[in-house]
Amino acid sequence: MSVSPTPSAGPGPWLRTTGGVVLMLLVLQFVTGTFLAFYYVPSVDHAHTTVSFIERVLSSGSWIRSLHHYGSQWLSLFLFLHLIRLLSCEAYKYRKAHWFAAVVLLALVMAAGGTGYSLPWDARAFFSTRIAEGLTDGLPIVGRMGRLWLLAGNDISTLTLSRFFALHVLVTPFLILLLVGWRLARIVGPFNWTTINRNVIVAGVVFVALAIWTLKNPAPLGPSVTEVTAEYLPRPGAQFLWLYQTLKYVPGGLGSVVGMVIPGLALLILLLLPWLDIAALHKVSRQPQRMIASVILAGFALWIVTMTTTSYLSDHRDPRIREQLAKQAFQEKVVREAPFQPVSLQEAVGTAATDKDKAPAAYEKFCASCHGPHGEGGKQGALIFPPLTGMSAKPRRTVDDIVGLLNDPEAYGIEPPMRSFATKLTAPEKREIAEWILKLK
Amino acid sequence: MSADEKLNTQSRRSFLLLIPITILGGMFASVASAAFRFLRPRIVNESAETWSDVAQLSELTGQSPLLKKINIDHVTGWALTKQEHQVYVLPNRDNQVLSAICPHEGCEVAWEQDSKRFSCPCHESYFSADGARLTGPARRGLDPLPRRVQDGKLQVQFQSFENNATEQIKRA
Repeated sequence: MSVSPTPSAGPGPWLRTTGGVVLMLLVLQFVTGTFLAFYYVPSVDHAHTTVSFIERVLSSGSWIRSLHHYGSQWLSLFLFLHLIRLLSCEAYKYRKAHWFAAVVLLALVMAAGGTGYSLPWDARAFFSTRIAEGLTDGLPIVGRMGRLWLLAGNDISTLTLSRFFALHVLVTPFLILLLVGWRLARIVGPFNWTTINRNVIVAGVVFVALAIWTLKNPAPLGPSVTEVTAEYLPRPGAQFLWLYQTLKYVPGGLGSVVGMVIPGLALLILLLLPWLDIAALHKVSRQPQRMIASVILAGFALWIVTMTTTSYLSDHRDPRIREQLAKQAFQEKVVREAPFQPVSLQEAVGTAATDKDKAPAAYEKFCASCHGPHGEGGKQGALIFPPLTGMSAKPRRTVDDIVGLLNDPEAYGIEPPMRSFATKLTAPEKREIAEWILKLK
Repeated sequence: MSADEKLNTQSRRSFLLLIPITILGGMFASVASAAFRFLRPRIVNESAETWSDVAQLSELTGQSPLLKKINIDHVTGWALTKQEHQVYVLPNRDNQVLSAICPHEGCEVAWEQDSKRFSCPCHESYFSADGARLTGPARRGLDPLPRRVQDGKLQVQFQSFENNATEQIKRA
């Protein structure tokens, strides 16, 4: 890709092939992503089912999804290495377009990774969407409004998933294509076949390594949001562990600063680096730009490595967590190997209200006065009673959970005026109400 | 540069060209073969041996064809869908069952009581009361479907056939 000005011996020229690897991984993301879109449906009713279908039924489905999943992690890693290599040849001075493209590409790839992470709509995806919601909400000034725009409403819903889908498959890929097109158009001839060959060979080796890794390691797919139980421990993928672990240490409100403002500022400084050759800084360092970029890149590398390692270690040290995570991994494996059950579209879509959708008598007697005859929620003076619709898209809301909640609302973090119905309702009545609530869309 | 050296440089160049082509080709082939398996259509032959209820025998009276609807569960990939199909029962012809699908381009034909014929709303093919082709672009009559009587009910095996053939050819 990049033509080396001075051909030299030793490993040097081979290290200047990060551009080729990044290009190969980018193409692979576009190709595998396109294949996945042939089956994926971005709706909270069907997202998990369709991903599960890709994983469990389609031949090569698991490999293609794994290539896409791990390919995105490898892409971030190689972009980081590419940036280090550009730093080493002072690209911010002599090849500003290369430097600019690499920094913006890193930001776009991270945005694509963040939005793509929500799409399978498993428990992990749901909780990560929650974290994205929280981090956005905590941003100074724009946070409140940013959260509503991100979610497309005031709660995570199927609209949020559609939004993440559009950002992931249309907006970010389009921007990436524009950027890469602009960057590739700036390569000037004549073609140096030796350099091209080196890039292709290294890209081929990385591809083979990724292919073998992904054949052995299918991309994770946790339980769907509706199946998740109270003891489930959500753990993000390796690419987000540093953030996950850091959020344990910073006090609440600062999470957004650590998770979004600092990485954002760091990217902005890297982006502006070509213009940061400021006279005043020469007193501190002979090459201030190099120093700034080195501090940022080394700082992030250190931060990410430390926090990721700490996260693995702390999970490994606690026997209860270790046991639960092992149990989850085992359940995931069991589900993966179980036969796939197609979902009935008519039931899932939910037709107009009929007799069988009518609220149970016990609901009308005890619940309807506050939560409304159709579970639409209500308001009495200052008291607000939340709607019961869309419950099936939320975690810890299985039939058993709702029965448990009716028995002991406080155990589910629900405060008065909701009271316990442990003795007022019979066990079959509670189940009937729970099953009815889960049908509400 | 001597002629020999020139030749050497040339073959070295074409050899150098061979390396990236081979590597890129290998990568392309491995992904393409996975893509072929991944995107291959999923053909499930589920209508075979599936009998659907059409109506009680006692309802099937009169001289005109009777329009009946049957529902068939189709498993298409990850989804289970109910598909509605229309059939005509001919009570005056031993309850023969005709598929309402026009053998021209697959629209659904309607029975015209006044002119005592089936007509296709799309391209004006006409069929007689027993389903035989009268006029229009269709190349054969309406397709009879296998039927049987079970517990006083008429049942049918729904099938679809290739368009525009003079003979009935079952679709995969």
